[in-house]
Amino acid sequence: MSADAVLEHGADSGSTMPQEILRLQGIGKRFPGVVALDGVDLDLRAGEVHAICGENGAGKSTLMKIISGQYAADEGAVWYRGETARFSSTSESQAAGIAIIHQELNLVPHLSVAENIFLAREPKRGLFIDYRKLNADARSYLQRIGLGVEPTTLVSTLSIAQQQMVEIAKALSLNARVLIMDEPTSSLTESETVQLFRIIKELRADGVAILYISHRLDEMAEIVDRVTVLRDGRHIATSDFASTTVNEIVARMVGRSLDDVFPTRQSVPTEQILLRAKDLSRTGVFGPLSFELRKGEILGFAGLMGAGRTEVARAIFGAERLDSGSIMLGDTPVSIRSPREAIRQGIAYLSEDRKKDGLALSMPVAVNITLANVRAISSHGFLRFSEETAVARRYVRELNIRTPTVAQTVRNLSGGNQQKIVIGKWLYRGSRILFFDEPTRGIDVGAKYAIYGLMDQLAADGVGVVLISSELPELLGMTDRIAVFHEGRITAVLETRKTNQEEILHYASGRTHA
Amino acid sequence: MLEMTSDQSQVAKTQRKQNHRDLIQKFAALGSLVALVIAFSATSAAFFSVGNFMTVALQVTSIAYLGVAATCVIITGGIDLSVGSVLALSGVVAALLVKMGVPVPIGMLAGVLVGAMCGWVNGICITRMGLPPFIATLGMMLVARGVALQITGARPVSGLGDAFGELGNGALFRISRIGADGFPDTVFPGIPYPVVIMLALFVAISILLARTSLGRHIYAVGSNAEAARLSGVNVQGVKLFTYVLSGLLAGLTGCVLMSRLVTAQPNEGVMYELDAIASAVIGGTSLMGGVGTVSGTAIGAFVIGVLRNGLNMNGVSSFIQQIIIGVVILGTVWIDQLRNRKL
Repeated sequence: MSADAVLEHGADSGSTMPQEILRLQGIGKRFPGVVALDGVDLDLRAGEVHAICGENGAGKSTLMKIISGQYAADEGAVWYRGETARFSSTSESQAAGIAIIHQELNLVPHLSVAENIFLAREPKRGLFIDYRKLNADARSYLQRIGLGVEPTTLVSTLSIAQQQMVEIAKALSLNARVLIMDEPTSSLTESETVQLFRIIKELRADGVAILYISHRLDEMAEIVDRVTVLRDGRHIATSDFASTTVNEIVARMVGRSLDDVFPTRQSVPTEQILLRAKDLSRTGVFGPLSFELRKGEILGFAGLMGAGRTEVARAIFGAERLDSGSIMLGDTPVSIRSPREAIRQGIAYLSEDRKKDGLALSMPVAVNITLANVRAISSHGFLRFSEETAVARRYVRELNIRTPTVAQTVRNLSGGNQQKIVIGKWLYRGSRILFFDEPTRGIDVGAKYAIYGLMDQLAADGVGVVLISSELPELLGMTDRIAVFHEGRITAVLETRKTNQEEILHYASGRTHA
Repeated sequence: MLEMTSDQSQVAKTQRKQNHRDLIQKFAALGSLVALVIAFSATSAAFFSVGNFMTVALQVTSIAYLGVAATCVIITGGIDLSVGSVLALSGVVAALLVKMGVPVPIGMLAGVLVGAMCGWVNGICITRMGLPPFIATLGMMLVARGVALQITGARPVSGLGDAFGELGNGALFRISRIGADGFPDTVFPGIPYPVVIMLALFVAISILLARTSLGRHIYAVGSNAEAARLSGVNVQGVKLFTYVLSGLLAGLTGCVLMSRLVTAQPNEGVMYELDAIASAVIGGTSLMGGVGTVSGTAIGAFVIGVLRNGLNMNGVSSFIQQIIIGVVILGTVWIDQLRNRKL
């Protein structure tokens, strides 16, 4: 069986000296009007985890696309296993043993796990698919990576983490010698990340070379052997991870040193309570739980993915059902049944998936900024375009959104700028209570800093901010208090100044006493 | 700073490319319309005349009314297959009421309201019961046609009187003179009422879509319904509105059409929904939602109308006409596809 073949092969190469499997030399790539890559060198060894770091636009994804054959390089050469290689499609690079797992997973939701793993390579018996062999083969790969789902399970019923494991199983089934992972942990919880790292270590021991692209420098120490930093399409440095500090890497990425990842908090929470949530619950999902949000406060929601943080925020925002409980804004009890009513009450929710829930991607910047407040730029139902443009320009300037004009289609902008547009939308609506759900996911260091600064500014202006985050450093760096969720309940509300990662994890795992 | 400028210039470049393609799309539809007019003028002497233009405009009215409505529905990401049947039901109801002695304007108003009601039912099925628009309006297509056939016994309603034909056959600014022979002599045929209504609809719906907050919400719903909902847009209400508008305009189409014939045909309007959708699509409306303009649809309706008229004048059989129109739809949507290809 091919799974065994992988194991044997891996064992062989794992015991020898680290050998070079992939080498890039002087890679250059130009797009109309922009140099995406300029003389980039990279060497990848069998059995190493090699991280590629850089801000958005540094050229990481272009480089990955050249390795996997989606783009052709304008300059430079690629050697793969000692021979020059020029892949002209992903299927060619796949056949040669280079697999790529994209940040947005590429699985067919309505097919089973086994069917996805062997998509377009199904074992056949005559004209028909040999389902027995299909499922048996799939099972062996699933066992190898320790994913406990049946091969016949539909992919649509799996969590993001499980789907990612399926992608890895698929890569193994392709006999991949090089595995490219683009932001693999961006949507995983801490425990899922631990599991992913275990698999990465096993693959490394088997001699697979892993190119690991991530914004999360803090978690790299556990698995990364070497790190290469790109900036503005140029190779800045490659070094052993063990001999480099995170601050050095960040300095190379941004071209300057960031004293701190978080701005110094200017805002001070008041005693005035803006939002009082009491005994909120939805059967089987969360609750009963209660919390309070003060004026000028940044309140963190910590917890594992699936602990109910997003669901509580969406329920308060009226986007999802609430079975029982009461919500008071100040001293006024309110009943919110739709996002429209919530918005009218001054509540805003920034979705964790801004492309799916936050933006009309095919529409211009100005339309998106004014979308939640069209009335304010209309008179008697008619739009006032000069007002719209003026408003949009104001927020583009204030939030430092990088766009040539406000007529620009949002789809063409980077993730950080898109997120700022969503923030601008709620600022223009004049919201008093803002839920930020994973606001910095997939955003580069510089843009993160800007968004943290904005949150602080909002709090200083008297807005109540709830920050839902899976990144503990972010919660510890930005919040005043942290409500820790576990399986739909709040197990503790901690003073940020007096707590640490260990304590938060302790409560997040369900234990109630320290 | 260097990164920022290169970043921005790339974005600006992408946008310019997009604008360029939008222009090509607009030009493709308008250009093919101009090309058709030139080609038909060359092949048929009678084509390029004021009289024939009025004929084309009159023939286009039904497609145009329905096309404008279809544009609104399709921009939200929906579809309305029922308009052909709904127009028949509306026209028949108006005719039966007039036959019963109801004054013509009130009868016709009732017909239009029946259309709006059908649209409302479509909208409720889609927004409240969660049926896919294709299915909900397919059901209405059968129901409305069935009701129209049932209440008339599948027979045309005729003998409606001159007043019933006024809306379809009258004209604005018609100048007549009593000739030497004692019969009226038409100096200027005037602008037929159906054409006046068409122009008014073009202007009104165009303003609605481009310049009002409701229009903005229609586009937003089609671009990303969930993002619109979470931004406080009344998504269900917006969708309901477009289906009611579609039904209402189908009702109007029915009354105008039956008035032109001075007879109500329960079998009128079969497959008109497809002409309506085709005119919207030729005009650049995307079936994925979020994109579309009334001006585009107007061009699309005239492309179909001019094709039919010109081919008729050249003696091309109706079967060949179908083939040609089919190919035109495929060609224009292919151009649309090129436009939307990843930049």
